[in-house]
Amino acid sequence: MIRQYSGIVPKGDLLLIQKLCEKLKGRSFIHVNSTREGGGVAEILQRMIPLLKDLGIDARWEVLEGDAAFFEITKKIHNALQGNREKFTKKMWEYYYEVNRKNKRNINLNADAVLIHDPQPAALIDFRRKSSRSGKKIWIWRCHIDVAHPVSGVWPNLKKYIVQYNSAIFSVSKFAKSLPIDEFIVTPSIDPLSDKNRELTDREINEVGEQFGIPRDKPIILQVSRFDRFKDPIGVINAYKIVKKYNDCRLILAGSPATDDPEGETILNEVRDYAGNDPDIHILLLPPDKHKEINALQRMSDVILQKSIKEGFGLTVSEAMWKEKPVIGGAVGGIPLQIVHGLTGFVVYSVEGAAFRIRQFLNNPDMAKRMGQEGREYVRNNFLITRQIRDYLSIWYCSMNRGRHVMEL
Amino acid sequence: MGNKIEPFEFKQCVSIVKSTGKYASNLSELRKLISRVGDESIFHHVYQYFLKGHMLEYTNDFAHWAGEHLEERALAERLSSIDPYTLKSVTEVRKELIREIDDFLSHFPEPRDVAPGSEFYFNETVSLVFPVGVKTRNLAEFLVAIGHIDAGSIYYHFYDSRVRLGEGVVDDFSRWIEHTLYRKRVADKIRAIDPFMHSIESIREHIKEIVEECVRADMEGVED
Repeated sequence: MIRQYSGIVPKGDLLLIQKLCEKLKGRSFIHVNSTREGGGVAEILQRMIPLLKDLGIDARWEVLEGDAAFFEITKKIHNALQGNREKFTKKMWEYYYEVNRKNKRNINLNADAVLIHDPQPAALIDFRRKSSRSGKKIWIWRCHIDVAHPVSGVWPNLKKYIVQYNSAIFSVSKFAKSLPIDEFIVTPSIDPLSDKNRELTDREINEVGEQFGIPRDKPIILQVSRFDRFKDPIGVINAYKIVKKYNDCRLILAGSPATDDPEGETILNEVRDYAGNDPDIHILLLPPDKHKEINALQRMSDVILQKSIKEGFGLTVSEAMWKEKPVIGGAVGGIPLQIVHGLTGFVVYSVEGAAFRIRQFLNNPDMAKRMGQEGREYVRNNFLITRQIRDYLSIWYCSMNRGRHVMEL
Repeated sequence: MGNKIEPFEFKQCVSIVKSTGKYASNLSELRKLISRVGDESIFHHVYQYFLKGHMLEYTNDFAHWAGEHLEERALAERLSSIDPYTLKSVTEVRKELIREIDDFLSHFPEPRDVAPGSEFYFNETVSLVFPVGVKTRNLAEFLVAIGHIDAGSIYYHFYDSRVRLGEGVVDDFSRWIEHTLYRKRVADKIRAIDPFMHSIESIREHIKEIVEECVRADMEGVED
């Protein structure tokens, strides 16, 4: 399976993965998150687990189950960790813990390495077997969101679980907290072979255009993201309206609902109202499995935006760069790590800035093409799935050899 | 039968980044933390800067932050002029960084904070070194290999070697070319490549040009 990536990803990543898997062969590695579909974490796990199995690792993926009330609470936790004001009661934290406790009955957490994704299942650590605390079993908490400036009160409630892990992984240095455990930095990644990123024929792209009623008569500006305030869809429409005064164009806002995001529908309705009857604005709500359609929308676009005002990492930026598209992103979360300003795209700080950069790209196709090409190479070296698998295996191996700064394999 | 030639074995270094959890919002905080963090963190922010591959306006992360976020260009230039390979140890690099910052602070004693989100975050790394499965026995084989190995391999043999092998040693490539192939002039040309003035890809191109010229001369029977 890993051979499929040969010739696409950096050779050293493939080699190191194989060498680490030789060392870790037969050991068990479990990932736990809170949604099977929707969002970057689920997408990567769908690809990573079979790949790890193929390399001789006993890899499993378990999903935390919760009801609407639980996901309302965890959405509030998510928002508060990202700096949005939310109210919490003691009962809410008790319910959060209770759902984790119930899940412990259904999830077999006995593995050599346990990787827990995000806050929803973080409390599972409390049910770690006592025998594994002192042994060689490694528990790692993987935080995918921007926790740099949480509102007061929310982090201490989570931190009491996080400090029980062997180590934590954050996507960006500035998200890391001052903790008494090892903290690694691992940027997320995209899969170049998935339906969302593989090459498409012109016919496949045109079919999707027809399916969604998008004429290919003028330049297309696209933002792909959940309908979430932090993604600033209203700001994107405002930027489009400024551009429209100078350059005729279309705007596509495309997103999928996620089972752990109860706010999505409210925001979607607000965005629809705000767009009004403009025939050049296309608001598309796609089921989470429509990866090929997202791929085609990205490939038919001329400029791709991720104008977030809060962001975990913003992998849609790497997806667009992989397709050699010029990108514009908000200067938040992991976006500036992907967009080297002026080299692989532009980082912006306002609606006006986004509009100005869109106009620059629409009026300078050579520059747009050059940045697109630079972007693809940058993603190849830094943001492909093999690099992330390499990093997870390396952290597991490093945790088994704690205290060593250089290891020869 | 001649003497058996010791082949050049290409290796690669992959570094996994660890956060120290410490960060600085202004120059005084940066100075304080430079004096306190572990050697691994100074090593990462100075020596491993070249792993980034494309940004070469500065020569280490501290200079980059001073220039781009503190917007203290003069300090950035001075920090950039520190050559870690002429200093004997990380301890000396640390002293030199502190000396430059102290000198700057003596003239401009009231540093301001950077914008939120632009703080300097102190990291360190754990490095995994592994052979990439390529061994070369002559310059023609070396020429093919240097064109195809990953950038991380060039970093390991061209930059990391300067620290790994100790004082007086420049890079693995020229060492092998001089001491195993006895091609001192080729080795000298590789040593003359300024490590601070090029991206890794540009260094690859320079080495390729130097070696290709030599291989061509060999094929034409022209002595270098």
